[in-house]
Formats: sequence, C-alpha cells, structure tokens
Amino acid sequence: MIKQTIWAGALAFAIALLPAAASARENPLVTTDWLEKNLTNAKVRVVEVSVEPGQFERGHIPGAQNIVWHTDLVDTVKRDIASQEKFQALLRKLGIDKDTTVVLYGDNNNWFAAWGAWIFSVYGLNDNVKLLDGGRKKWELEKRAFDNRVDAVKPSSITLTAADTKLRARLGDVLDVVNKKSNATIVDIRSPEEFSGKIFAPPGSQELSVRAGHVPGALNVAWGRAVNPADGTFKSADELKKLYADAGIDGSKPLIVYCRIGERSSHTWFLLSKILGYDVRNYDGSWTEYGNSVGVPVTNLAGTVWGGK
Amino acid sequence: MAVAIATAIAVSLGTAAFSLYGSGEGAKLSLSIVFGAAFGFVLQRSRFCFFCMFRGWLDERDPRGLLGLLLALGVGMAGYALIYGAWLPDSSSGRLPPGAFIGPVSLVLIAAGLAFGAGMAISGSCVSAHLYRLGEGSPTAPFALIGTAIGMALGFLTWNALYTSVVVTAPVVWLPATLGYSGTLVIGFAVLAILAAALLRWKNPRLPDQPKSDSVLHSIFTARWPAWVGGLAIAGLGTVAYLRVAPLGVTAELGARSRQAADALGVLPTRLEGLDTLRGCVSAVSDALFTPNGLFVIALVLASFAAALVAGQFKPSPIRSSHVAKGLAGGVLLGWGAVTGLGCTVGTLLSGIMAGALSGWVFGAAVFIGIVVTLRGIRRSARSA
Repeated sequence: MIKQTIWAGALAFAIALLPAAASARENPLVTTDWLEKNLTNAKVRVVEVSVEPGQFERGHIPGAQNIVWHTDLVDTVKRDIASQEKFQALLRKLGIDKDTTVVLYGDNNNWFAAWGAWIFSVYGLNDNVKLLDGGRKKWELEKRAFDNRVDAVKPSSITLTAADTKLRARLGDVLDVVNKKSNATIVDIRSPEEFSGKIFAPPGSQELSVRAGHVPGALNVAWGRAVNPADGTFKSADELKKLYADAGIDGSKPLIVYCRIGERSSHTWFLLSKILGYDVRNYDGSWTEYGNSVGVPVTNLAGTVWGGK
Repeated sequence: MAVAIATAIAVSLGTAAFSLYGSGEGAKLSLSIVFGAAFGFVLQRSRFCFFCMFRGWLDERDPRGLLGLLLALGVGMAGYALIYGAWLPDSSSGRLPPGAFIGPVSLVLIAAGLAFGAGMAISGSCVSAHLYRLGEGSPTAPFALIGTAIGMALGFLTWNALYTSVVVTAPVVWLPATLGYSGTLVIGFAVLAILAAALLRWKNPRLPDQPKSDSVLHSIFTARWPAWVGGLAIAGLGTVAYLRVAPLGVTAELGARSRQAADALGVLPTRLEGLDTLRGCVSAVSDALFTPNGLFVIALVLASFAAALVAGQFKPSPIRSSHVAKGLAGGVLLGWGAVTGLGCTVGTLLSGIMAGALSGWVFGAAVFIGIVVTLRGIRRSARSA
C-alpha cells in the first residue's frame, strides 16, 4: 500500500514535471495582449527596431526604447554586425540585463526586429529575447495606444560573451556546402523572381549584386509564406513545419539561410531556430556578398546578364 | 457669390481630409490637407511674405513684418524643443531628430541663399508667397513657379559636382547636440532679442497705424492680420506639423515633380549622390499620385484662393511681358537655390531655425544679403536707364 502510494506520488511528480520539460524551449513570441498587460513589468524591456526613420519618435508602444538598425546594430565603417563592445554599450544604455525579458518589435513584419533578435542571440542572449508576434502592424490594427515620450531607463552593467560563431555563416561556410565539403541545406528566402535570376533585386533596392541567380543547391522558400498577411503574425508551428517539410526542410540537416542583405533571412532564421528548434545559421553576407564574389559558382536559371545581353 | 465659392472650397477640402483619414499613411495625407489649408489661410490673411518683410524694412524701416518673423522663429523654437525633449531626451547622443530640416553648412548653402534672395528680389517674393499669391490671381506667380521648376532641374543637374566637391564633407550642425535644448533656446532667444532690438532702434518713427477694426469677423476674414498674429499662427502650425507629419515646407513636391520631368527627358544623371539621404525639403522621387507634401501645397493654394475671395483680394490682373520675364528669371534662381540649399525660406530658414539647425541661420543671412545686393543692382540700373 505504502509502496503503491510512493509510486503514485512519484508518477504524479513526473507528470507535473512534464510540461516544464516540454516548454524547455520557451515560446519565442509574445502576443499583443500579453505585452499590453506587461508594459509596466520592470523585468520586461520593449524595444522597437523599425526600418522607417521617424516612426518610433512619432509613436511607439508605451515605454519602448529605440534601436536604429543602420547605426546601432552594425559596424558603420566595415561591413559587419556591431562589435561586442558596441553592442554591450547599447544594451547597458537600454538597461538590459541578463535576466531582462526583451521584447523586440518593428514595422515591415518585424524584419529588422528579427535581425535584432539574431544579433542578441549571437551575443548569447537567446532565451529571454522575444518577438512581438505581428509587430507594429498588429498593435496598430488592434487600435492599441502609442506614445511619443521616451522613458528614462537605469543603465545596466551587463557583460556580454564573445560572438557565437555557430549562429552565423560566412562566405567560406556557404562555399564549403556548395563544394560538398560540409553537409547542410541552404535556404534562399528571397522572392522566386530573385531566386530564378529574372531580376537582380526588388525594385528600389540600393544594394545590388552584379550577378543574378542563387547559390547552387539552395532551396527557395520566400520569407512571406511563413506569415499571415492580414496581421503579420507567424503561422502556427504546425503550419510552419509542414510548409518547410514540403520544401524538403525537416530539420534533420543543419540549415543556412540567406537573402539579399541578411535581414529578411533573420525572419526565417528566427522561426526555423526559435519556433521549430532547427539548427540554423544566418548568412548575413547574403546575395550582395555571394553574388558579387569573384569565381564562385552561381545558378542562374533565367540567364539574365548584368549590363544587358 | 465669393463667399459661396470659398465655402465650397472649404467643404471640399474638409471632405477630402475626412475621407482620407485612416491609420498610417492615410492620417498623414489627411493631416497634410488640414495643415496645408491652415498654412495657406494664414499666409494669405497675414500676407506672410518673406520678401515683403525684408523690403518693408529696407525701404521704409518698417519693422513689423520682420518682428512677426522673429516671433514665429522664437515660438517655433520653443515648440520644437518641447517635441525634441520627448523624442530624444538626450540631445548629445549623436543622433539627429527624425525628419527635421538640419542641413550641411557649406559654401554651397551660402551660394544657394544668395541665389534664392536674388530670385526673391527679381520675382517679387519667395516660393511660399508665390503659392499663396497664385490664389490671389497674381500675374507673376504662375511664371515664377514655372521658373522654379526649371531652376530646380538645373539644381539637380549641378548637384553631383557640388555634392562631391563640397557638400559631402560639410558639417551638419544641430545646435542642441552641443548646447543642449535649454542652451539652444537661451542663445536663440538672445539672438532674436538682439535682432528685434535693432529693428526697433532704427525703425521709422512715423509709420502709418494699421486700420483698427471692431468686428471680429472683419478682423479675421477681411482685414489684413498683423504680422505678429501670422507669426504666432505659423509657429504653432510648424510645431504640430512636425509632430504629426513633417516640418513645414513647400518645395519637396515641386522638386520631386521637376526631378521626375527632367528624368523623363533624360537630362539627369541616374544617381544624385547623397541627395536622398540628406535631411531637407527636397524629397525623393515617388510614384505615388498624392504625397503628403503634394496635398499640402494644393490645399495651401486653394485655401489662399478661398481666403482671398472672401476678403475681396482675389484680383487677377492682365499678364504683361514684364511679369513673364521677372517671374521666369527670378523663379529659376529660386529653384536652383531651393535644390542646392535643400529647401526654401519656409523649409530651410523657418523650419530649420525652429529645429535648431545652424543651416537655417546661415541660409537666412545669405538670403538677406542676396536681397539687398540684388535690389540695389535693380534700382541702380533702373536709374541709369
């Protein structure tokens, strides 16, 4: 009898532990509802990373801080992400500590917010950094309040670890896959027109590559297919799993994602690694590096020639 | 009849603003109509013409117009500082406030100001005044605006050479970055006070009084507003326009359209270096049928027309060849100056000084010199002829 009770107790304890084990990979997304209820939570820091300048200043989620992607998150002289020192100084200024839950959001379906989340992860802040599902768009659609005042925050004294190279692919890593020296699946998340080489870049893009096409062997899943167009939220994990499985991506092999300049691919990096839990590296050099490199193999299905035929 | 037409215009502007209102871009377009109409009404009612203010002082030592301008600058500076304090609490962070007209300070800016001032003296006013006078039926204004479009195309043609040789290395000085907001306000107010004191010290003691009016309706809709009332209204409008859409400016749309036209003719270089990244009243080419600045300018002209009708100041006069010649010649200088100076007396001077930009002050001084020199030249040649 006693034995049975102990067994039953142990079983109940194990069952109680189960959900905790299942949520070991915490939900990387927060809902607009959750965020609105947690705006005054001292352990939550909301940060906007938008493409359009002036957007944050004219109105942001109350209490949010601002990150300017083209100065704060990059090295402005050489092409690279912000150095450890620079990013650490930024986080200290924004009052972000290791135990702060950071909620990133932005315009354009969270493109640059996802790029920000990738850089947070590169510098070791992985589990506490989340995206607001649907970003600015959903918050605005739901007619939630905006504010144009910037709250003063107490600086933190966070110390970052060195950049984690496992989350970032470089040109050499991509070439190793192309030359069959390493085994990974390359995912091109640009539009089918860019992938096939019909166009060099979407209209209005400043950054160009002088060759059209894609990395040989890459699979094409345009980033937008992962998003519900109405409100910019990610599709459900099951839908995402199926979407990528149908394209031949099931997480059994390491992945490398790329786009044109590395920011839209962060969006796909975020969902593949954080929602589906796959092993993914973001190739931030992307097509503007690969397609401009001398002597690398290219697949150009459309045969478009730079400068005209 | 006049009141009926004016009412119809006001109702259609209101309807357009109402129906465009929505989230995001819709709100901007809608507010641009409201702000443009208010700006046009204020400009027409107070005859807020930069050239007339300068000439009133130069010819008659009448300080009232320029005092109205100084008041607009002072109140607008305070309004901008209030917004900045919320948007960018720390002015020394190395960031610039979004969208404000803070331009590079260089010899090109001075040349632009001189050309713009000369264009004002020749054509009889600046771009914003030509726009509101279009609503009053001025015979010069249409030609001045055509000239401005041509001058802007010339500005784009010369831009790349000026940019790479001078502008690219010129400092972009935002005064609050070094002086702080309070320091900028203290020094700005002091400069404005000294200028006002100088105007009052040397003013003509025997100026005619403005006619008094007891009726409120007459004061608002018929009598000319004193310049200081116009100045206050423009300062308030400049502040809310910056808060919700963009700083006051009237050349962005004109510039974009003239760039489009010149581009279609194939005379422009394919890339205008740095122009679209600089902060000023010269906007990037857009394919949109209606842009915020386009609607702002259209509403400005229509509201000025309505205001002039009610006040009995819509007086189209026959076009003479001198109107055409002065308008076109002056307009070309206005247009070239507006592109190379990244704006006009409204964008670069007014909105720029309100924004704490050194470029606003430098442009203003150059415009003043351009007017003085050109007026003297015109009068000397008239005497000798």
